[in-house]
Amino acid sequence: MSDPRTLTLDDTPNMAVLFTRAAATSIGRGGPLQDVQVRRPRARIHLPQLAAYDNVCGFALRDALPATYLHVLVFPLQLVLMADRRFPLGLAGLVHVRNRIVQHRPVDAAELLTLRASARELRPHPLGAAVDLVSSVRVGDELVWEGVSTYLSRGASVPGEIAPEQPVTLDLDPDAPPNAVWDVPGDMGRRYASVSGDVDPMHLSTLAAKAFGFPRILVQGMWTKAHALAAIEARLPEAYAVDVTFGHPLLLPSTASFFAAQQDHGWDFAVRPAQEAGDHLRGAVRAI
Amino acid sequence: MADNSAGPRPAVIVGGNRIPFARANGQYALASNQDMLIAALDGLVARFGLSGQIVGEVAAGAVIKHSRDFNLTRESVLGSRLAPTTPAYDVQQACGTGLETMILVANKIALGQIDSGIAGGVDSTSAAPLAISEGMRKTLLAAHRAKAPLDRVRALKGLRPSDLVPQIPRNTEPRTGLSMGEHQAITTAEWQIGRKPQDELAAASHHNLAAAYDRGFFDDLVTPYLGLTRDQNLRSDTSVEKLALLRPVFGKGEGATMTAGNSTPLTDGASVVLLGSQEWADDHGLPALARFVDAQTAAVDYVNGGEGLLMAPAYAVVPLLARNGLSLQDFDYYEIHEAFASTVLVTLAAWESEKFCVERLGLDAPLGSIDRSKLNVNGSSLAAGHPFAATGGRIVASLAKKLSRKGSGRGLISICAAGGQGVAAILEAVRDE
Repeated sequence: MSDPRTLTLDDTPNMAVLFTRAAATSIGRGGPLQDVQVRRPRARIHLPQLAAYDNVCGFALRDALPATYLHVLVFPLQLVLMADRRFPLGLAGLVHVRNRIVQHRPVDAAELLTLRASARELRPHPLGAAVDLVSSVRVGDELVWEGVSTYLSRGASVPGEIAPEQPVTLDLDPDAPPNAVWDVPGDMGRRYASVSGDVDPMHLSTLAAKAFGFPRILVQGMWTKAHALAAIEARLPEAYAVDVTFGHPLLLPSTASFFAAQQDHGWDFAVRPAQEAGDHLRGAVRAI
Repeated sequence: MADNSAGPRPAVIVGGNRIPFARANGQYALASNQDMLIAALDGLVARFGLSGQIVGEVAAGAVIKHSRDFNLTRESVLGSRLAPTTPAYDVQQACGTGLETMILVANKIALGQIDSGIAGGVDSTSAAPLAISEGMRKTLLAAHRAKAPLDRVRALKGLRPSDLVPQIPRNTEPRTGLSMGEHQAITTAEWQIGRKPQDELAAASHHNLAAAYDRGFFDDLVTPYLGLTRDQNLRSDTSVEKLALLRPVFGKGEGATMTAGNSTPLTDGASVVLLGSQEWADDHGLPALARFVDAQTAAVDYVNGGEGLLMAPAYAVVPLLARNGLSLQDFDYYEIHEAFASTVLVTLAAWESEKFCVERLGLDAPLGSIDRSKLNVNGSSLAAGHPFAATGGRIVASLAKKLSRKGSGRGLISICAAGGQGVAAILEAVRDE
């Protein structure tokens, strides 16, 4: 494979502009993935933004960054790729179905970071087409963090054989009572949007949510993942992988049950909305 | 567990950890009490290899605390790397909180009820809780009690525009309406403490603290947090001349001597101290820096009794010395909390005063003067700042380390607190056998 074309950003792009551009150019997408990576060198942590993120997600304000906060940093880079009209899948209706993060070591809020994102593995999916947005964070040359976000475009078709997606297998007692019951307020989508830049309208407006077939606003899956990690924050290993799949949406406002069980080298957990038979999120943490 | 048949056993100080103290609305403006206490605890856990371990208990507190933080210390333990099965509780004795937690933990260790424990405190004056006014609170509760919707509306109609203004916590004595600085200004004038000695004490505090940082004294006592590596209030280049330029902020007219330079600023921070029995420390391969020998609290009637608000430590020291058969001069170090420079100077003057010692303390003779070169040798609150409940832990950990370095001797701690209270304690070096 030849070296990918690199697009270097000097600053964090305007998320609202990207979302608008992506939505306006959603129709008529197709073709293969471009061999391009987005790079953002010399990224610094802005303490007030970190504090606001910690507050919304339930983390204590520490010098070591939550693993999910680094996703917030690389998300704009992913959006740059997806907003480009050459990106084969339209952003409107694109659903985040899986997120895997590897924290090689805790990252300190004072460290200078190089962020990268690219798209891989455009493939047919039982429900349409899926693609992986692959990101990394480096301190100098040291790889400290990796993330893979899998997005599904319902009804889209791309050439190829459908290969089964690997499920996240959990060892949770189906009859156990929840470890915690979460009251998720109606404005959580808006609050998470303000600390993460994920201003996808279906998390902000009932009208937009309905346009995508949901009865109410739904919360960002990455908020749920962050909140679940915050619940076991003090007992996470130093280096770990956390893999979650997103199922039923968590509509707002909502009450949700959080289930977690310690395993040999980590944790299994699930989040189930009240009045839903299935899970909104299923995840596993494993020490590496 | 300990065998209790031999009677009390000494508690030793194994070590301590704090985050650098920040000025109010400074580096920690966005950190909560819980955030800072977790940071201090996790630094201690890392330093002494306590990750996933149970200690006998964690006692800590905050002076300015939101009602939702009723279980602040236990919640902080659950957010820390300590085993979640470590019990914890909150303590509050104004600025005496931190030292009082050490007394509680040390006593339980002495009695064999626990083998180890962590004591400390935290305070944020930046992320202070706001309370709704009494008028609004009573109106809302009346509306909540009302059964019919119309009664509810009627109850809410009692709300006045002035009720909408939130109440900010104030550094004011509820029974006198005077701030701590105003109280101390009265005491300062009474004892005729001049401006210059106050500024000299403040300058010495900054210079001593800066020198201690420079020679690495705090390397194993302080863990950086949110970009701070030293106390934000520290001014190593200050001088008596510079301090003399500041305008008085407490007291009136000619006699006003207390400035922002010789009074402690509002501060955010947290500190914790690890204590254990000698046996527990040995079993875990941990050092024993000093013994927690004894402690005493006292209170004065500053409301109607004619005593100064911050004079209680002067009283607390009397039974403490008597019980341990010591004179005021039998110490190698004195740690007198610098709420204000004049608090320290008045306390020293009181101990030197025959009139005060005989009439107020009930002694036959004055306690006498101390060697000033042994006072607050690594700086104190004027330089480091004073996050109320975190000051006890800062002092105990520094003094224990100082005694351990010296290898012998003892130190006296005195901390004044709101409500006319005072806490004093004695630490002693653990001698190598």
